[in-house]
Amino acid sequence: MAAALTDGAIQVVLDLRVYRLTAIQKTAYRLADRVTVVLGVIAGELAPGGDQLPATLQFKPGTSEPAAREVARQFYQELLDQELREQIADQTNAVRTLILAHAFSNADLIKRGDRGERGE
Amino acid sequence: MTELHPRFAGRAAFAPPADYRLLPCRFLALDDHRVVVTNEVGEHVVMTRDQLRTFAGRTLATCEPLYRELKAKHFLFDDESRAALDLLALKVRTRRAAVARLTGLHIFVVTLRCDHSCHYCQVSRQTEDKTRFDMTPAHADRALELVFASPSPAIKIEFQGGESLLNFALIRHVVIEAERRNASHRRDLQFVIASNLTQIDDEILEFARDHRIYFSTSLDGPQDLHDANRPLRGASSYRAALDGVARIRAKLGPEFVSALMTTTPASLPRVTEIIDEYVRLGFHSIFLRSLSPYGFAVRTRLVRGYDITDWLAFYRRGLAHILELNRRGVRIREELTALLLGKMFSPSGTAYVDLQSPAGIAIGALVYNYDGKIYASDEGRMLAEMGDHSFCLGSLDDQTFASVMTNDTLHGMLEDSLPESAPMCSDCAFLPWCGADPTFHQATQRDVVGHKAFSAFCAKQMAVLRHLVTLLEDDPEAARILRSWI
Repeated sequence: MAAALTDGAIQVVLDLRVYRLTAIQKTAYRLADRVTVVLGVIAGELAPGGDQLPATLQFKPGTSEPAAREVARQFYQELLDQELREQIADQTNAVRTLILAHAFSNADLIKRGDRGERGE
Repeated sequence: MTELHPRFAGRAAFAPPADYRLLPCRFLALDDHRVVVTNEVGEHVVMTRDQLRTFAGRTLATCEPLYRELKAKHFLFDDESRAALDLLALKVRTRRAAVARLTGLHIFVVTLRCDHSCHYCQVSRQTEDKTRFDMTPAHADRALELVFASPSPAIKIEFQGGESLLNFALIRHVVIEAERRNASHRRDLQFVIASNLTQIDDEILEFARDHRIYFSTSLDGPQDLHDANRPLRGASSYRAALDGVARIRAKLGPEFVSALMTTTPASLPRVTEIIDEYVRLGFHSIFLRSLSPYGFAVRTRLVRGYDITDWLAFYRRGLAHILELNRRGVRIREELTALLLGKMFSPSGTAYVDLQSPAGIAIGALVYNYDGKIYASDEGRMLAEMGDHSFCLGSLDDQTFASVMTNDTLHGMLEDSLPESAPMCSDCAFLPWCGADPTFHQATQRDVVGHKAFSAFCAKQMAVLRHLVTLLEDDPEAARILRSWI
């Protein structure tokens, strides 16, 4: 779980075997009004690759420790939701494409024969 | 029915293993314990987080009531329901049918002159005597060519201002000319005049009656609030509006006039009074509208007078009061709520331009400005008055309906702002009930897509929809009333 608030930031390490990178990025985007999430960097240095992804939750100046920890909790909660969304998308993307193709397969996207007064 | 002995497992434990597949769906937290799940066509189911994980993991027992509900609403299909894909495709097509019909709403800004000096005016009105702010008959005729070039079977022509009735001569010209052209086009043609009603007289009323013209006016609530919001030199705007409403009702009938309110900081503590005023005056609907970030509302900084959290508290109190009035037998509904309920429960959604996907700009509404410029939305021309011409699609002098509809800039904005591909929107459960508002995001973030984590539009939609789903789930009496508004 999240470490303490230090210099306005909380450092966490995310396991890429548990959360895929897309889910992590979407989580960071969704919480952007509350925290800036810097991925893959520790103290200004690029982190080594592998299954561990360090992330810095950088808060606005003046954010209290309880408020920061609450946002960190929301970050992990949202991570789970985003990961589940990716799993559902994996199962349904093909059928979504199929349904949309089927829905519009008979649609005549160009309406013919109803020309305007200037031949439009 | 006899209870099972506690040593026996429940019925679900003995059900055959489920063999179902998920259909496309999105979910969002409703509260700490529940999620709302929607499918491609806006049907929804509320369930616990545990139930969501079981459903998504394809381990939901076929005998569970939730299984049957999810199957009936097209969230899953199994060997017994292969027709589900065909049905879902048909529903998708029905829901999107309006896009192919193209522009149904055509707004004529017949003048920018106005006799009011409202603090929240969104269009940067001009004083009454500047006739150079009137639309010319030549531009009006060119606009009518575009109107009837649209393939939409239903055409609504709305006259706006300024105060539109200050150029009644042009309104008369457009109505007569539109009806003449429609004799061969045979569209479902409707006219609406947006007006503060100060200029209304017998001649206008008789013309409106003869041509079945509807009126939409402004009413912000009790007299002191309305007159403070809408100053009218030497007279009471409230008295003029009420007098106009009474005369229209007497001459044309009560259904020919409706009213809109705008929420200012002074309105915030007075929502029940505002609603009661509408009821007292015989209106059956009220639209609790928040301020828009355009025109004088921005220049006077009025729009900063409250934030979306304040408006949401105002809305919730107002809706609770309206539901209570309904419980007592008073017929009144809130229009934003009714629009959203239409998106939630109607197979074809709603035609409300601000909640469409793709966005309603140009393909839902076109605006012909007093100076001959064409805009993709009413808010787009308001933005232009502030110096941002992003939504200008050229001039009536040299554009056709086809050239407007194939405008590269328009297509770029429609494609960029499409919620199905916009960050955060694309996996939001409220997507089928929401829409893109590129003009709002251009005005507030200088970007037609907008970062939704910082968007007041998104915050408003999310909070209102969560509130409505919660009411529908947890308050049967409120749910009964809300469903009666669809």
